[in-house]
Amino acid sequence: MSVRLEAEVVHLEGDCGVEDAEPLLVLLQADRFRTVDLDRVDRLHTAVFQVLFALRPPLQGQSPDLFVRERLLPILS
Amino acid sequence: MDDLLHHFIVEAKELIQQASDDLLALERRPFDPHRLDSAFRAVHTLKGSVGLFDLKPLGDLLHAAEDLLAAARADGLDLDAAALGALFACLEASERWVGAVEANGDLPPDAPEKADALAAGVRSLLDTPNPSLAAVASRADAAWADALFDALRGSDPAAAASGRPLTAIRYEPRPDCFFSGDDPLGLMRSVPELAALKVSARDPWPPAGSFDPFACNLVIEALSGAPHPDVAAVFRFVPDQVRFLVRDAEPAPAVASAPSGAQGPDSGPPAGPRTVRVEAGRIDRLADLVGELIVAKNALAHLVDAAGRVGEDVDWTGKLAAHHAVIDRLAGDLHAAVVDVRMLPLRDIFRRFPRTVREIGARLGKTVGLTVSGEDIEADKTVIDALSEPLVHVLRNAIDHGVEPGEVRLEAGKSPEATITLRASRFGNRLSIEVSDDGRGIDPARIRRVAAERAVVAPDRLAAMSDDDILDLVFTPGFSTSGSVTDLSGRGVGMDAVRAAVESLGGRVSVLSRPGHGTTVKMDLPTSVVMTQIMSVEAGGRVHGVLMDSIIETAAIRRDRIAPVGSGRAFVLRNRTVPLVHLSALLDGPERDSLAQDVKVLVVRVGSEPVGVAVDRFIDRMDVMMRPMTGILAGAPGLIGTTIQGDGSVLMVLDIAELIG
Repeated sequence: MSVRLEAEVVHLEGDCGVEDAEPLLVLLQADRFRTVDLDRVDRLHTAVFQVLFALRPPLQGQSPDLFVRERLLPILS
Repeated sequence: MDDLLHHFIVEAKELIQQASDDLLALERRPFDPHRLDSAFRAVHTLKGSVGLFDLKPLGDLLHAAEDLLAAARADGLDLDAAALGALFACLEASERWVGAVEANGDLPPDAPEKADALAAGVRSLLDTPNPSLAAVASRADAAWADALFDALRGSDPAAAASGRPLTAIRYEPRPDCFFSGDDPLGLMRSVPELAALKVSARDPWPPAGSFDPFACNLVIEALSGAPHPDVAAVFRFVPDQVRFLVRDAEPAPAVASAPSGAQGPDSGPPAGPRTVRVEAGRIDRLADLVGELIVAKNALAHLVDAAGRVGEDVDWTGKLAAHHAVIDRLAGDLHAAVVDVRMLPLRDIFRRFPRTVREIGARLGKTVGLTVSGEDIEADKTVIDALSEPLVHVLRNAIDHGVEPGEVRLEAGKSPEATITLRASRFGNRLSIEVSDDGRGIDPARIRRVAAERAVVAPDRLAAMSDDDILDLVFTPGFSTSGSVTDLSGRGVGMDAVRAAVESLGGRVSVLSRPGHGTTVKMDLPTSVVMTQIMSVEAGGRVHGVLMDSIIETAAIRRDRIAPVGSGRAFVLRNRTVPLVHLSALLDGPERDSLAQDVKVLVVRVGSEPVGVAVDRFIDRMDVMMRPMTGILAGAPGLIGTTIQGDGSVLMVLDIAELIG
């Protein structure tokens, strides 16, 4: 499971594929201000990225993946 | 004028200015998407506002301009010289008409006709298929790549300036691409030597509740340092959704050679500091209030005097004096604060000049660029307002008389495009403005010849004058050396008007020239209006103010030392005969013979000669905030302004030199 809610923080972990987009969306639709933690994300599928890009929840954490950290996160911040 | 219309006029002027700025930028750098958007928005907003009023011709005109800009924006229609010319014509007419609405409350009678003609001109550009459309599409297309490149230069100048070509990528994944197993960002991850990545939404996002996570609504743009084939290989399965553009690392030369005063190519209009629009009348009112506070301060000074004379209560006097000191400080601070509020950046007038120069150049068939610097320097509103017209005149002169026709410039080994430099700088509380051209300069011999022909100066004096003094003759009233009178400069408003305007602000203007290399007109001005020092005197039972600046000295002359000379009188002061007039006589008032032994005399300078002006009494010297004469008194000879005295009475301030002259 790559999308997990823990203490009102949504954790994205490992390879987040296209199938993670909908669960993430549902969690954020329930509360737009839930923080999303990206500390352990390796890959972000475009569909997951798009949910974050459109809904702009607060983010925390730095992915270990260079592409996610240096190319994608700046776009989301 | 009703409030709504008033606001409309203010807004309209700003929007027209904005659109003009944008079009000028587009002329220098076509297909700048920010500028195109900004021009479109300005015209679109203005058209919307016009709809609130009964100004149909203006609305029609703006509608046509808007259509043309929309076509340029959406379809990549080329904004060539003809299109820009038509748009400028629309803006000029709009500006004129807004001015007419402001002055008369309505459009000029010929507006409907003119609007039809101008709008038809614009529409003809839209209807005829643009011959260069195909070629242009690729250029218009390049706008997105320009924006990417500019962004990269901002974020990673080293990569941008590496000197290697860059491949720009624009990838618009199909909305259903997730269903075919595509991961567009995954592809971007595979792009070799990715230098920049930008993601945007293709369509506005729907509300979160109706968001479809399986429809891709992204546009991805990127730059890569890798060769085009290597980049294209990554996208081999989605060739229909991606476009490439290879460009040199150092793009469009227009960017490199853009005049320093022009705005950065990628910035669009800069986000300046927050400003508050204050109606000038309110500021003036504030200034008046401060003037009155100063009057209150002066009244207190009177009280201090009175108390000292009448009573022996020293403590009371001391208290009053302390009060006075406080008010004095307050008044000073308040005055400084108000002067500060009245300070405006030179940009307020400078920003219109690029268009002015373009228009004048176009009318005279000369290509002229304007470089502006120092537009952030501030000066008092009075100074700013009064500078606009003289500067336009100097610019006009530079283009008309200074700049040679293109052929002549080429022969002289110069670039066919002339450059005019408008440079402002500040030294303490003095403002210096220079207008330089790189034209033919002023030939002193020619000035001498013309001055002799027109008998501007006596021949013997002319021969004795140095070349520098000769150049100064261009400021002589009525002097014009133009071979032919053009519709621009030959209006009888000469450089003498420029000098008069600058000197009325307490400034100086001079001209420098290097024949063959150009002319510089330099203005030196105060940045703010200052307190004026005057002396109050009594004559014929009335009190008047006289500018301290004009007084050389005051003297008491014994009656028996005054001798009749011709029809007048004179006295000898330090071995020099000085003519004497009585101030009352100058003011056509009764001249009372005082019985006093001594006659009190102000020695003032008239031209270069001292003249004695007899008065009944010297009263005081003071700093005042002088108000210029207005209304029917504005043209009254010999009166400079008024100020209010400590006792509340109005004091007329006299220009003695003018009264005598």
